[in-house]
Amino acid sequence: MPTRHMVVGGGPAGIFAIETIREVDPGASITLVSDEPPYSRMVLPYHIAGQIPEAHVYTGDTAYWERLGVTAVTGRRVTAIEPDRGRLVVSDGSSVPFDELLLATGSSPVQPDIPGARGERVYNLWTLADAQRTLRVLDRVNGRVIGGVNGGRKARVVFIGAGFIGFIVLNALAKIGCALEVVELEGQILPRMLDPEAAGLGRRWLETRGIGVHTGVRAVEIGDADGGKTVRLSSGATLRSELVVMAIGVRPNVDLARSAGLRVDHGIVVDHHLRTSTGHVYAAGDCAQGPDLSTGGLAVHAIQPTAVEHGRVAGANMAGRPTRYAGSLSMNILDVVGLQCASFGLWRGDGRETTVVTNPGRPVYRKLVWEGDRVVGAILLGPAEDVALLNDLGMVKGLIQTQVSLGPWARELKANPMDVRRAFVAAGTPAALLDRTLLGRRLDAQRYRFEDRVPQHAAERAAQVLEQIKLDPTRGKGGGTREASNVVPD
Amino acid sequence: MSYKSLRIVPDRCTGCMQCELACSWVQTGTFQPSRSVIRVHVFDEQASYAPYTCFQCKEAWCMSACPVNAITIHRDTGAKVVLEATCVGCSLCAIACPFGTIFWDPVKHKAFKCNLCGGDPACAKACPTAAILYEEMETPDWVEPWASKVTERLVLVQGAPGSPSGAL
Repeated sequence: MPTRHMVVGGGPAGIFAIETIREVDPGASITLVSDEPPYSRMVLPYHIAGQIPEAHVYTGDTAYWERLGVTAVTGRRVTAIEPDRGRLVVSDGSSVPFDELLLATGSSPVQPDIPGARGERVYNLWTLADAQRTLRVLDRVNGRVIGGVNGGRKARVVFIGAGFIGFIVLNALAKIGCALEVVELEGQILPRMLDPEAAGLGRRWLETRGIGVHTGVRAVEIGDADGGKTVRLSSGATLRSELVVMAIGVRPNVDLARSAGLRVDHGIVVDHHLRTSTGHVYAAGDCAQGPDLSTGGLAVHAIQPTAVEHGRVAGANMAGRPTRYAGSLSMNILDVVGLQCASFGLWRGDGRETTVVTNPGRPVYRKLVWEGDRVVGAILLGPAEDVALLNDLGMVKGLIQTQVSLGPWARELKANPMDVRRAFVAAGTPAALLDRTLLGRRLDAQRYRFEDRVPQHAAERAAQVLEQIKLDPTRGKGGGTREASNVVPD
Repeated sequence: MSYKSLRIVPDRCTGCMQCELACSWVQTGTFQPSRSVIRVHVFDEQASYAPYTCFQCKEAWCMSACPVNAITIHRDTGAKVVLEATCVGCSLCAIACPFGTIFWDPVKHKAFKCNLCGGDPACAKACPTAAILYEEMETPDWVEPWASKVTERLVLVQGAPGSPSGAL
């Protein structure tokens, strides 16, 4: 009899687990139960901003499930898991047996306990349903909102919480021309992603673009007035808007696991194989608290790349290919209305040696956190158009992920933290990475997704290159052959 | 299946930057090195230059990090290719790729990377000193032997009295 795999949750962790199970075990039986249709939460803000149609956010459809050979039960919740009996109970009352179970139940927005928090036009903007509802409201309130005009005035939105999720939505609403204000309990914006100095640069960037920032204050009451919303602050001030977005944070969905007696801390505790405390039950993604690459401890990293890695490793283990996961790296990247902010690993520093470069006028801020000759954390901030910034992002991640000893290059990089490229390459970081794969094998084309498509224009342009940048045929030996005159013998 | 790979021979590179020009022309239709996906790393103090681009690595960190499956493997070349119409420009691939070879186009607001020009890489064609070759082989690690040499030389430079580095 084929092994019966059960996946609860159709986010990235669940989907990648399913694909990996299918790759490893073509004969396995796979069932997915998901209360929402599978879509990419990460890209909802791009849908809200009108950059992509709704169809673009979905990650699975009937044809996809058929190709994968998955029984997909969507629109229903799992109400209980019974690992001892090898079955779970679905909201329609049915019970489904399994041999291996993955909990990929994600996370949910934290609801602040303040009057009016559950009132009209107060949204979390977390799910696709939230996004659809918000778009309808913006359409109605906003005077047919495209362009953001509300009777000659911009539609106003107040954000409660100045964290990653708030800003990714804020950025989308800024693109469609809303007037925005942000309220944050802590003394700075993005407290779990930027240090105070970087956050200060971010704040000025927002303010010079007309976005109100209120830090160190609490929203104490949300009310209705004059057909709009009011948000009263602990400072005594009252903000007015058409819409309120709640974004104070998310918390792992652990109820199923806790009820079944699995070990739960902040999230569902998993080991280096993504196994929970109970046999044949795995957890992955936002709901899981797994190995942290930087600290060696356990952490919830509720980010897309971790969900994908968790899902793939859990899937391989469930399908019978023992695979050890080194751990997830905390990292975030965020476009704050044109200001690119990223942080990695142990970016806070916490007493470690740090090297900082800053140019507040541009503004550019870069902080590297060191342990000896290894980079263990970083913050990079600068205008999105700053190509150099983004060109360094991956290398900084590579240094932190590999923990390469930079040797004599550490001194150079400490003297000039902007010169990451030379230290990265000359210390041999790519060699440390080339054979490193998550599942110990080459990542194959995602067979169940897109047909490979040829990049347009590239082949034709390549054909023109020799004409455009023509070599002097008298230069090399033999007139135009590839043999060059200054070749160093290998 | 084995694909052709870009093999870089840093000892042959003169730092002329023709590869960057050729690359930006093919990839963007402009002669704009800042939008090239091959970059020459300059070690002027050692008269050493290292062209650097995507290794088309086995793991394809960019591909699995993408939330909309906008990165796929090209059937003929094995290159990891960004499907521009699908990419939303979220930059997750840029922080996931530990090689630093995913770029973000400041004009289009999309990710872009080396796609091996569909099997006819412009950088290799444009290089006048055969420092960039396109050959059938497993993903080559051309960095390691060269890196050891420049690092040895750096140690000598840092130790030299009166050198800018030595004075630090």
